[in-house]
Formats: sequence, structure tokens, C-alpha cells
Amino acid sequence: MKKSLMLLVSLLVLTSLLLSACGGGSKQTSSSQTTEEQTPPQTTEQTGTEEKKSAEPFEITIRHTQVGADKQKRLAILTDVVKKVEADVEGLTINLDGVDSDVNRKEKLRGEMAAGNPPEIFDLFGSPDSKVYAKEGKLLDLTPILDELGIKDKFTSLAPFTYEGKIYGLPIGGSGEGFFYNKEYFQQKGLKPPTTMAELDNILDTIKKDGKVPLAAASKAGWVPLMLTNHLWSRYAGPDITAKFATGEAKWTDPNVIKGFAKHQEWVDKGYFKKGELGFEYGEYTTQFTSGEAILMYDGTWKSSVFKPGQSGEGMIGKVGFFNMPPVEGGIGDQTALMRDVNNGYGFSAAVADDPRKLEAVKLFIKYLYNEDMQIRGLVEDGVLPSMKLDEATLNANITDDLMKEIVAVLNSAQSSFPAFDALVQADVTTEISNIQIQKLIGKQTTPEKMAEALQKVQDEANAAAE
Amino acid sequence: MNKALRNPVTFFLFILPGFILMTMFFIYPIISAVYYSFTSWNGVSDHVKFIGLNNYTKALGDERFWISVTNNGLFIAFSIIIQVPMIVFFSLLIANVRSLKGLYKTAVFLPSIMSTAVIGILWGFIYEPNIGLLNSILKLFGVDTIYWLADEKYAMLSILITNAWQWTGFYIVMVLAAIISIPRELEEAAAIDGASGIQRAMRITLPLIRPIISVVIMLSIAGAMKAADIVIVMTKGGPAGSTDVMATYMIKYAITNFKYGYGNTVAVLIFVFTLVLTALYQWLIARRSERIKY
Repeated sequence: MKKSLMLLVSLLVLTSLLLSACGGGSKQTSSSQTTEEQTPPQTTEQTGTEEKKSAEPFEITIRHTQVGADKQKRLAILTDVVKKVEADVEGLTINLDGVDSDVNRKEKLRGEMAAGNPPEIFDLFGSPDSKVYAKEGKLLDLTPILDELGIKDKFTSLAPFTYEGKIYGLPIGGSGEGFFYNKEYFQQKGLKPPTTMAELDNILDTIKKDGKVPLAAASKAGWVPLMLTNHLWSRYAGPDITAKFATGEAKWTDPNVIKGFAKHQEWVDKGYFKKGELGFEYGEYTTQFTSGEAILMYDGTWKSSVFKPGQSGEGMIGKVGFFNMPPVEGGIGDQTALMRDVNNGYGFSAAVADDPRKLEAVKLFIKYLYNEDMQIRGLVEDGVLPSMKLDEATLNANITDDLMKEIVAVLNSAQSSFPAFDALVQADVTTEISNIQIQKLIGKQTTPEKMAEALQKVQDEANAAAE
Repeated sequence: MNKALRNPVTFFLFILPGFILMTMFFIYPIISAVYYSFTSWNGVSDHVKFIGLNNYTKALGDERFWISVTNNGLFIAFSIIIQVPMIVFFSLLIANVRSLKGLYKTAVFLPSIMSTAVIGILWGFIYEPNIGLLNSILKLFGVDTIYWLADEKYAMLSILITNAWQWTGFYIVMVLAAIISIPRELEEAAAIDGASGIQRAMRITLPLIRPIISVVIMLSIAGAMKAADIVIVMTKGGPAGSTDVMATYMIKYAITNFKYGYGNTVAVLIFVFTLVLTALYQWLIARRSERIKY
């Protein structure tokens, strides 16, 4: 009796375990089962679509990163687009799946890509991510869709999302980098935005002598000071030099690149940055500027959203200006070139191509999201620069914010633009410069020359590995 | 014991669930990590290319990897040389305090229930160069501003202190439990014989809590080898990579750069180093002080 009971119990345990293991193992079938189970309550919510639904219901998932209070405006744009697409495609339900940007980029999406089950539409970074995925055939080739919609030439740059001549993603917005400055202070001291590097040097010197911090600094994360260094070396050595590092056409040890590094170190030596910068977080960068402690802050245009009602820079509304890095004497190439990035946007799963109805939904999603209206909404509501070329008059008509007007003016006066280095060089080089070399330069543990040599060494290795 | 358990089939069925879980969450991940450590897998590709020992020679020949290993070593050294004596000292104090013992126990235990992110921010304020607590105190003694987290000379020390602060309380509670479980008569007898407080602590209590101290040391070693979060929140491995540990090295140089093969290599190395260290410790030192009989 006891024995049989024991056997029975163990058998029960075993079978239940096996069953649960089976349930988890076959992801494809189980997920389609659960979606079928989930569909009824969702369709009852949308009673309007219920009657006209002749086609079989289907769903797609959009992985977005608009999570949290400061991304509500961006989320609103996305939900509007989703509603439009759902209305146009019979039987379609779109699931919105919000995940923190970094988690999505570095963990979730990568895991899904490796397992072969990414969502149909997902937030994607251009370089290097989209290239890695495109190489493995995980991304949908958008070239024919863009041709069909006729918007292929409307984007300012698709380079970060292009692999072997095909386009695999679309940037949602862009950003430019330059100096934010305290207008009130400038007026008090009779200073004007500089038109040459010498003038900028003078301004920094004047502010320093006045006992203020000329430049905000928070270099715990290497990319923050590197925005400035990147722009400096691109002024001295030309805006196109960074793109040539990966191909071997140019070297980090180029004397003009070294001049850029040297300029940054010179400013450190002269005490133009807030002291102890290597220990400060990026969040403190803005605080140094908004508190009036630092007069200038080199940052991306995304920072303009801080100077809006209800945000941390509220007290400085109307007192903040923006100017481009001034030209340097003897600098190579276009001296008005603006550092601009269009590295974040949406990508689409390669599996979409197998299902014509999903492909149709993706096409409509692109059509409704990537157009003038949405780009202007992004700019006006969210302070994100357009990733598409827009008519200047329409732009100006829509901007009411003074700071945004200045930013757009800088944008328009720049004759060319170039992407930040991390979109152009290999990840190993990015790691070396942002984790080691730039902090060594700031901490005076290296010289501009040694820094260039160290970078070139890593660059050579990365170039050799790519061949 | 009944007959059922003597039946090999039943016996096997009973260990099966545990075995499956162990395989799924422990054995399989280790085997797959070892497997991928010999490849140049990018974390996404369906094609996995074997590159033999290349990843291992690369890691072992990388100066930055050894800086990270050294920093892990500093974690261990700091906990054994400074943290453990302090743990024992404070445990003895708290065990012998007459009133408010509960308050002291709670107070020392508090840091270990806080999340590392919170601790990072908290200590970030303490180390803040201009208005931070530490520099404000030092200023009273005429010490110049010290950039704790920004200066390579102090950054690692700052992390070690914070890490010690976070975990000391946890270990104190462990040691306290051991002290309290020592039969009262032993101390009383020693007291009657005329032993002073210090003599009793050194001759009676300490030898009796040796096994637990040994466990504390082993846990510290294991904890030090896998440390990562505290470094990430305090310095991100900076300035200029001077506070990187093996785990942050792995994240920076492998995972972020789509080098999962290399990342697995570093993970395997961390595993092997930790295994060897704890095994050595267990073998050479801990084994001798395992059993205490009253």
C-alpha cells in the first residue's frame, strides 16, 4: 500500500514537472496559444473594429523605450501612430511593450535576436547594433519600403542604419552638440558668443578671472567630456577624419588630431573645467550650469528640454543661449560643421517579410511615424531635432521657444555635419578612448601624443580583426 | 525507513526534480559558458566559430585584465586584514553591552539591507569634494580638498571603505550569533578564576568562534571575487579604468562590445579563480577549525 502510494506520488511529481518543462520549451507554439487566449478581451475593448472585422485577427508587438515621466510626450506620439495603423489594417492589434532603453539595448533585444524571436517592431540603435544584427540577417531590409513610400531621400542621414548599401532602420530624431551658455551672465559682462577659437579662449579666461567656473564638467562617464574633445579634433583635423580611422586612411596620431586633444588638456590645465570632474555624474553636469556655477556647458540639444516649465532648469528659461564650436585658425575642412547624431530609432524583424499582412502594418507604421507632422511634434513637444529634412519656413513657424530658435539657427548656419566618433569607429576603440584615454588626459596621466599612440594601437588591432 | 526508498527506481524519481533543476540552472550554464569561451561568438549569430585558446591568451595577456584581477585582490586583502578584525571587535563589544543590544544589532545590520545603488548615492554625498561630509571634517584639521572618487590614489580605497561599510553589519550579526551560542558557564568560570575581560575575549570567545570567522572570510573572498555593482555605482571603473574589477572588465570589454565569446572566457576565469581560492582556503586553513565540542 505504502509503496504504491509513494510510486504514485513520485509519478505525479514527475509528470507535472515534465509537462511544465514542455510548456516552457516550445516557445513558438506556446506564445501563439497565449496570444489567442489574450485576444478576446482585447477585441471586446475595441467594439468599433469588431463588426467590420472580416479578416482573421493578428497582432504585432512594438518594443519601445518610452518609459517614465519624461518620455510621456514621445509615448503620446507613438500611441497616436499605433491607433492610425490599427484603424487602417483589418484585424490588427498592436501590443505596446515598453522597456527601459538600456535594458532593451543590451539585454532584452540581444537575447531575443540570439533566440530568433524579436518583436516585429523595436527600438534600435544604429551603430554598431544595427550592423551586427543586419549582418546576421535578423533585420528587415527597408530599402524597397522607403522607395515605395518615396521618403528614402528625406532623412538627413541613414548612415548609422545602413549595411552593405541596404537600410535596416530609421532614426526617430536627432541631436546636435554645441555650447549652452548663460545669456544673462554674458550680457552682464558684455560678452558675445564667439566667432573664432581665440574669442572663445578669451571668454573662458574672462569667466575664470571672474571667479566662476567657465565650463561645466562631469567626466565619470567618458562620453560626456568626449563630446567636446570629438568636436575639437574634428575642427583641427577636419570633420571627415574620424570616419577614416576605421578604414585606415587616417590615423589618430595625425598631428591635427593631437592638436584637438592638446586643446582639451590646455583647458584642463588652465582650470576652465569644474575641479574633480572625474568623480561627477552626468546629472551633476546640468546642475552646475542651472545653478549658475558654470557659465558654459557643452552638451547635446536634447538638454534643451530641461529649460522648460516644470523642469529642473525652469529658472533659466529665456536666459540660455546656444552656439556652435567656433572655427579654429588653420583648421582643416568645413569650420562650421556641426556634430549631429541620428543613431536611435526603429528597426523591424526580418520575419515580417514572410507575412504580407504584417509587412503592410509595418509599411503603414513607417508612413505614419516618419513624416513632417510627427517630426515637428517631436521637436516642439519634446525638443528632439528632426531626423528628416524639413522645410525651413515650416520649422520656424512652429517653434516658439527662444532656445529652440537659437538651436535651429545654429543648425541652419552649419554647412555640414558629422556623426560622433562612436558611430564611426569599432567598439573596442570606443571602449579605449571613453573608459581609459580621455580620463587619463583629464587626469594628466598621459600626453596628447601618448593618447593618440595608444588609440592608434587599438585601432590597428580592430582594423586587422575586421579584415 | 520504509521499503519504498530502497527501491532504486523510487529513489531515482525522488532525486530527479532536484537533479533537473541543478542541471538547468547550474551545470548547463557552466558547460555552455565554457563552450562559448572557446569561440568568437558575438551573442547574436547562429554561426559559432571556434578559435581555440585565443580568448584565454588574450585575457591573460591583457594588462587591463590584470589590473582588474589586482583590484579583486585588494578587495580580498581589505576584507581579511581590516574588515574581519573590525567585525570581530564590534561583535565582542555588542555581545557584552548591557543595554540596547537590539538597537546596536539593528543599526549595524541596516546597511546590508540597503540596495547598492542607494549606498552608492549616499556615499557619493559623503565623498563629494566641495560640500561632502568627509572633506568638511578633514577641512577642520586643515586638510586640502581631496577628490575621493576622481583621484586615482583614493578611488579604490573609497570603494573598499564603502563596500566594507555595506557588509560589515551582516557579518557582525553572524558572528554575534556564534558568540551568544557559547555556553555562559565557560565565561563565568573564567571570570571566577580571575580572567579579565580582554583575557576572556582572547582565550575563551575567540577560539570558540573560529569556525564562524572562517566562514566569514570565505564568504568575503567569494563576495570580493564577484564584486561589480559597488564599483559600477561609485566610479564606473574609473578614473581611467583604475578601479575596474574582473566583472566590470567583462562588461566593458566584452558584453558591451558584442564579444560574448570573450565575455564567457572572462566569466570562466572569474569562476576558476574563485574556485581555486576558496578551495585553497578551505583546504589549508578552514579545515582545521571545523568542529568545536563543548
